[in-house]
Amino acid sequence: MWCDSRNPFLDLAIPSEVGMIYLDNAATSFPKPQEVYEFIDAFYRKTGVNPGRSGFDLCLAAGSLVDGTRELLCAFFGGTDPNRAVFTANATDALNLAIFGLVGRGDHVVSTRLEHNSVVRPLWTLHEDAGVDVDWVGFDSRGYVDSQEVIGRLRPNTRAVLMNHASNVLGTVQDVAPVGRACRERGVHLVLDASQTAGVVPVKMDELGADVVCFTGHKGLMGPMGIGGMYVREGVEIHQTRAGGTGVRSAERRHLTEYPFRMEYGTPNLPGIAGLHAGLTWLNHVGVAAIHAHELALWRILREGLAAIPGVTVHGQESGQGEHIGVLSFNVDRFEAADVGTLLDVDWNIACRTGLHCAPLVHESLGTDRIHGTVRLSLGPFNSPEHVEKAVSAVAEIASMRRARRAS
Amino acid sequence: MMLFLECSGRRLKLSDEGFLVHARDWDDDVARLLARTAEGLDELTDEHWTVIRCIRGHYLARRRAPQVRAVCQETQLSLKRIYELFPSGPAKGACKVAGLPRPDGCV
Repeated sequence: MWCDSRNPFLDLAIPSEVGMIYLDNAATSFPKPQEVYEFIDAFYRKTGVNPGRSGFDLCLAAGSLVDGTRELLCAFFGGTDPNRAVFTANATDALNLAIFGLVGRGDHVVSTRLEHNSVVRPLWTLHEDAGVDVDWVGFDSRGYVDSQEVIGRLRPNTRAVLMNHASNVLGTVQDVAPVGRACRERGVHLVLDASQTAGVVPVKMDELGADVVCFTGHKGLMGPMGIGGMYVREGVEIHQTRAGGTGVRSAERRHLTEYPFRMEYGTPNLPGIAGLHAGLTWLNHVGVAAIHAHELALWRILREGLAAIPGVTVHGQESGQGEHIGVLSFNVDRFEAADVGTLLDVDWNIACRTGLHCAPLVHESLGTDRIHGTVRLSLGPFNSPEHVEKAVSAVAEIASMRRARRAS
Repeated sequence: MMLFLECSGRRLKLSDEGFLVHARDWDDDVARLLARTAEGLDELTDEHWTVIRCIRGHYLARRRAPQVRAVCQETQLSLKRIYELFPSGPAKGACKVAGLPRPDGCV
């Protein structure tokens, strides 16, 4: 499955029903490995009962899959206790639980201008409703946040640092480890948004110094939509902002305080967890390093190809300047991003995402908010060099078309 | 501030972005005037009218703008060609000339 260095690309069969060039993997990975579809279908048909709620054998089998997925997640994030791998609906859900459960009135928080609205909006809500003071650290022209600047913003009343591991607009992977070390020394919680990196680059709790890692299941982890979660380091106790059914010790009036029940409420998303289990199993087989190498190789072709087109501006870092993932944003001179996206879709059958990508501060910093955002292309394990070459060729044609119009 | 378009002795309301407020105000003369004032087109060719009538027909039948892909399929024109015909593109250009309100999402 993994080719040698002469051909550093994964060679994965693309399901024929896809019928297009899909370059929107930062929104959701597509297609999923065939094993994921098949496992969800088979498991839910044969074992689709409520896990952990009853004592019959099938219920225990369902619970076993849930526990097994916690173990996979715990190992995946370098954790120590599978019960601290908790399931949520998605990364936004996990980040809301973590942010509102850790930060309160009078606290100070440090975050960055690379954040997604899943961090920006909860923090803004806390700022307006509870007077939480937030420092938003900017990024340089390549798309990197200076970790020393983040550390320099820590105060005695800093409760947490909220950081995007990789920008969903620029694809730059941030140097989190120095921030994590500083946070540990000062008793500040580092909450990491690994939405774009989990399954693409290694995300190890202790190496990064993170107290909480929030992730979604439907991107790099190759699961379906509607499943996400977080891993909470031992010793970190997130205040509960919800309460409800756990399936165990129902007589207790207060919601249970031990993990995973502490952060889980109501019947879990069993088909989602099954898909996440299959996605993680597939990832462990193929290897995160192989996927990252594949996407980087494609990214270089894409970046160099687009940068060479007159009238195209590629945002953020250039090849070899720092760690990144297979995500890239660009604009075509005098074209609105949405128009480029529509042309790519209709005339070239290429899927991308245009606009602000739910990350408005990034675009405000780039100045692209004034032109309604950028065009984002994002790669996945099922993309090929041919996909990238066709995308570059299509953008070149769009850019030349615009020049012809201007000349006329 | 309300915008108006003066056409053949009529005073027609336009939105802030220059789209007709009342689709019923539209006729071929209005289309020519919108094409000239909004898109800088001194003349509408048969290709322009094919796109305009396609979009207008969809709108009158369904009260919403058609998807771009449907326009391309029905007119047998590439989207690239539609952009060449209407410099502001299918949504801000062709739909405006066809007398539609500003489309949300599709087109």
